Amino acid sequence: MNRAVAQREVALVDLVDRLLGGGVVIAGDITLSVADVDLVYVSLRALVSSVATAEEKNILPAMGDAL
Amino acid sequence: MYCVAARESPLPTDHPAVHPAEGLERIEHGPLVALASRVPLAEFGEGALRRNLNDFEWLERVARAHEHVLERALERVTIVPLRLCTIYTDEAGVRRMLEQERNELEAALAQLQGRQEWGVKLLVDRDALEAAARNRSDELAAEEKEVEASSAGGAYMRQRRLERRVREVADRLMEELAEDVHARLQDWADDAVLNAPQNRDLSGHQGEMVLNGAYLIEATKVAGLRELVDRLQERHRALGANIELTGPWPPYNFVSPAASAEGATPR
Repeated sequence: MNRAVAQREVALVDLVDRLLGGGVVIAGDITLSVADVDLVYVSLRALVSSVATAEEKNILPAMGDAL
Repeated sequence: MYCVAARESPLPTDHPAVHPAEGLERIEHGPLVALASRVPLAEFGEGALRRNLNDFEWLERVARAHEHVLERALERVTIVPLRLCTIYTDEAGVRRMLEQERNELEAALAQLQGRQEWGVKLLVDRDALEAAARNRSDELAAEEKEVEASSAGGAYMRQRRLERRVREVADRLMEELAEDVHARLQDWADDAVLNAPQNRDLSGHQGEMVLNGAYLIEATKVAGLRELVDRLQERHRALGANIELTGPWPPYNFVSPAASAEGATPR
């Protein structure tokens, strides 16, 4: 993978770390609490591990084959 | 809301917004301008938001759309990025915020002027590191010889001890490596933030993540940063080190602490 492409394709985990973990936190009328953010990570992990399990069982095509 | 900038900034308003049916809007107030777009409360209201954030596809779509808007803005102007899903029920709410946070936002903009955030991750291959540990330590080499020379029973205990020593030396090398890379980058940067290593389940990274840092760099020094990273990579290749550079990012890690602390209590 060449460098320019690698940099343009931002990994979702990098994005979520920054978008939810960083930036100015201002109390909007509706805003995320720390607990909400933690829940996102918990459910992301659960989701990723369920995808991994499905791959092992050949339910889903393996990701990243095209790379 | 996406970000805040100085009022005269040419923020993009022709780019697709988070909700496809709505366009980007500038909301000017005093010396500042906010970039925002309208979203339906049915999707972004408090209950719906909590549900949707846990929907992987929804989160990915919204996060990427938010990031694309910020990237476009970043090409042209200095911005203070806001956390994903900072939502006001009306324009007056945005203006009130710009009024209240004015000093902090202006200070943050001044600090970020002409600077970029870059991410650096240091990944280490444990096997290569342990091999390097064996090569580098005369003491370990001597112990290895002893193991070979021992009788069967003694060899087992010596082997166990040797493995433990190899792990210790490798751990120390890894620590020194992370410290060296961070220190060099810090020399180059105006500011640095160390974040926790990412969860492997989420990132799928290979090897051990021993450094996950964000560095605030003057825009004119970016070419030098790339050279520095290449040099560090080359220098530490034998230790199984792999350095990942990403950026430029909207400066999520370098927004003024005053503004971040203000009103951080969720409603």
